[in-house]
Amino acid sequence: MKPAPFDYVAPQTIDEALQILADAGGGATILAGGQTLMPLLNLRMSQPFILVDINRIAGLQGVSRVDGATRVGPATRQFQALGDERLARDLPVFVEALSHVGHHQTRNRGTIGGSVALGEPAAEMPATAVALGATIEIRSQRGTRRVPAREFYVGPYLTVLEPDELVVAIDYPDWPQGHVTLFREVTQRPGDFALVGLVGALTVEGGRIARAGIAWFGMGPTPIAAVQAEAALVGKALSEIDPEAIAGLAVADTAPFTDHHASTEYRRTVGRRIFARQLREKLDIREAA
Amino acid sequence: MNAPGIPAGRFIGKRMPRKEDPRLLTGRGQFVDDIALPGMLHCAFARTPIARGKIVSIDTSAAREVPGVHMIYTAEDFADQTVRMRGFFVEQEVPVRTPPLCEGRIAHVGEPFAMVVADTRHIAEDACSLIELEYEEEDPVITMAQARTGAPVHPSMADNMAGMTGVDEIGAELQAKLDKSAFVIEEHVVHQRVAQSPMETRGIVATRDGPEEFTLYITCQSPHLVARWVTLTLDIPDMSIKVIAKDVGGSFGLKNNPWREETAVMIAALKFGRPLKWIEDRYEYFIGANQAREQEMTLKLGFDTEGHMTCGHGDYDNNNGAFPHGPGDNLAVHLFMWPAYKMPDYGFVTRGCYTNTPGQAAYRGPWQMESLIREAALDRAARRLNIEPYEIRRRNLITAADQPATTGMGIMVDDITPHECMEMLLEKFDVAAFRKEQAAARKEGRYLGLGIATYIEPTAVSGIMSSMTGEFAQVRIDPTGRVTASLSTHSQGHGTATTMAQVIADRIGVRYEDVTVFEGDNSTGAFGPGAAGSRQGVIAGGAAFTASDMLVEKVKAIAAHMLNANAESITIDDGVIHVAGAPEMSMPLRELAEVAHGHPARLPEGMVSGLEAQYRYQGLPMVMTSAAHLCVVEVSAETGFVEIKRWMSAEDCGTVINPAVVEGQIAGGLAQGIGCVLLEEIAFDARGNPTAATYKDYLLPTISDVPEFEFHHRNTPSKSTGGMRGVGEGGAIIGPPTLCNAIIDALTPFGELAIDLPFSPTKLLGFIEGRDLSGGH
Repeated sequence: MKPAPFDYVAPQTIDEALQILADAGGGATILAGGQTLMPLLNLRMSQPFILVDINRIAGLQGVSRVDGATRVGPATRQFQALGDERLARDLPVFVEALSHVGHHQTRNRGTIGGSVALGEPAAEMPATAVALGATIEIRSQRGTRRVPAREFYVGPYLTVLEPDELVVAIDYPDWPQGHVTLFREVTQRPGDFALVGLVGALTVEGGRIARAGIAWFGMGPTPIAAVQAEAALVGKALSEIDPEAIAGLAVADTAPFTDHHASTEYRRTVGRRIFARQLREKLDIREAA
Repeated sequence: MNAPGIPAGRFIGKRMPRKEDPRLLTGRGQFVDDIALPGMLHCAFARTPIARGKIVSIDTSAAREVPGVHMIYTAEDFADQTVRMRGFFVEQEVPVRTPPLCEGRIAHVGEPFAMVVADTRHIAEDACSLIELEYEEEDPVITMAQARTGAPVHPSMADNMAGMTGVDEIGAELQAKLDKSAFVIEEHVVHQRVAQSPMETRGIVATRDGPEEFTLYITCQSPHLVARWVTLTLDIPDMSIKVIAKDVGGSFGLKNNPWREETAVMIAALKFGRPLKWIEDRYEYFIGANQAREQEMTLKLGFDTEGHMTCGHGDYDNNNGAFPHGPGDNLAVHLFMWPAYKMPDYGFVTRGCYTNTPGQAAYRGPWQMESLIREAALDRAARRLNIEPYEIRRRNLITAADQPATTGMGIMVDDITPHECMEMLLEKFDVAAFRKEQAAARKEGRYLGLGIATYIEPTAVSGIMSSMTGEFAQVRIDPTGRVTASLSTHSQGHGTATTMAQVIADRIGVRYEDVTVFEGDNSTGAFGPGAAGSRQGVIAGGAAFTASDMLVEKVKAIAAHMLNANAESITIDDGVIHVAGAPEMSMPLRELAEVAHGHPARLPEGMVSGLEAQYRYQGLPMVMTSAAHLCVVEVSAETGFVEIKRWMSAEDCGTVINPAVVEGQIAGGLAQGIGCVLLEEIAFDARGNPTAATYKDYLLPTISDVPEFEFHHRNTPSKSTGGMRGVGEGGAIIGPPTLCNAIIDALTPFGELAIDLPFSPTKLLGFIEGRDLSGGH
């Protein structure tokens, strides 16, 4: 379990990294926290010619404010984001989801951008980006583009990123103070990828749902936005919400698979159940209203 | 500090800190991968990608061109080397020809077919990826059902039957008894295959140090057994074989004996002349190492109207894989199904079969399957009679009053206490109160369950099954007054350097800190089979007891002579020799040791100098350990998840040398038992590819999945010297029935849950909802 030979470079700036990616012609792989990549290298499931270590690029790290959003640098360590007071205050569900990523030890090295960009469909951070409506800023020598998280994921471990591109920022739009958060995941052991999970945010204005962002993880080839459920919720008075029906709509958007951890039908059944329960509990809706 | 009920000696019975821990916890242990020898090269194996077929050709030409590659071996390069493969029972060869490297017939995915020797492991793996294997693939035999009718895995054999004891049909007499019973419980258990998962994978460094000297650093369960194994397997009686395994990161039966890869490295080291290292990586471990369990069993139990067993019959199948460590129908294990119970008449058939999967190896708690099906069937009978699980056991267990008793299989018991262990738990757990809580919870849609299981285990087997024999201890008091002991024991984490030091310090009367135990090297101590069958604490403990007592006799004789006192009046405590009634005559043991070693003229007439004693304790044929466990679970009807809310253990392992070590053994075994029931599974697709090859997919219980256990100890001394009983495997044996019974009890509102392990959330939720949740594409 030793990696195949590769070259290693550790650029100091984003521009330097982009130059290396452009020159590599598709043979480069970016190393951030390495919590997924290092095992893949050791298993020889990933055999890049060049490993581009972005851990020394200061411009990719840290949490900051941009207009109407919180910007998270992709190389920000997960444990740093977990301890960030602004994130805890403004995006509590981001922090809640993050606390379920891997384990204490892996979060010391693992990065936000690494998790977002890898696109593991059962992971918390891609779904959180989708749910909260994040925008992913991507740069190459060809230019900069901003891709909504909802358009970023293509398949398992597959995103719209081109081989010469680098994620340089993830912008999470503001949600008003006091918004309602949704989070529940079902894992066989703490720290495992979810058999089924959901994450989301809702705002309530004048007794009605004004805004909804909800996504599934572990429920298909990518993180999946629960768009039908979102549409059904927005504009609805709390008293009119039927959690079971909304959960049914939410599950209708998913495409879960069967593997040796859980079946498609299990994921659908439990997904619907935890979705309805989250709505009931977080919106304080009485059962069988 | 002592656990309740444990008699305390000076050190026996105390939670002494383990002598091994400072070294292990600060990264200073010496495992095989820590060994680096001058000129050492590294090995990697190319492995078969299919489960069954014929090798057409192996092309190593491209691999040989890789800079840093020294040699590539295939089976034909080893043709001149005798290999008579054998398992833990070293005297016998295994019945299936098991070559170190695949000789042409591929029998499972992951078989080694070529070995690269290179400057580094990286280079060796680079070269492996360039070896081209051409093969003709055949349809594999994967399951036990396929084995019954499929083409033989080993073409030299007529069929896939590896072993069988008994006959398929139930005898007419037994059948008549079953028919006459008031009711019959039929229990069927499907137990998945699991991986033993030691933290340290297999590994070896082999070096030929001269024409007659062969040194092996190998992670194993006994350096002594390995030395004997190598001599016989490779037929090299003229070589001096030194085997060193100072620290071992777990084994659980897997490393009972070396196997194919280690043997290939040994042969290559003999041929190539430079030290060679191979460390199994975790991917190789999952696809190439021998595995455990994968059994199916049906048990029919007849009962009278009061719930007393009248008779029974067991039908047992075992998947041995392609190259098992043993011949395998697990017969010996089956013999111990009933010694704790009043079972008037029992018949059985056991079968082992070959399949195109990795071979079977031993695993901690070979009595697990039998204990699981027995205890589950008893609980079903209790529900049938509407009595508590403890009540059905009260009516069937052999109690103190019943002993001595000889059970149906001819096993005599005279000091077992499973019934008493169970009563000990019932004094501390209010079953009636629990039933009220359970009923109330059910009304809220919460499903609580109570599981109880009882068992006995034959431990410390000696003298009736080679290689299981006596254990050896040599204890010496050095001229400095320090005590040094050499034992036949070997620790894979068992803490024998601690427990044996406690025995020795206790018996001699020196400080615990002043005793050092050496083991883990076959030039130390003497032959012993190592850690297998929960034996070392019992038998080596007895050897340490007696050797220490013999040494004390010599100390007393010298002291009596030097102090002009009566030997009976002399005691040793805390490293100081005392004479009763004459405190002014007290003398440090060190002073006496100096005399014993350096001033023979001051010794009693005719006494030889030096201060050492050695003793081999043969032990009893076997020593029975008893236990009862109880656990409470809650099964979520929302997700099918199981939460363990409480777990109590009452075990009787006689004299407890160190309660922390005993509880550690029980807890570790329980963790493995919990893993078996809820999480772990080695499965194969139809082509024989494993579905889990990393710990992302093979789920071991973590610290979050294992509850705090409550330990209670009964201490009925055994008749073995020192009174110990083995305790290494009990948790792994009794954990699964206890937990399964609790889960089944929790879900009785939905019916009688059959045991098909692991109890995944998908299976349990499907049962709760009364529908098949397994599919849904």
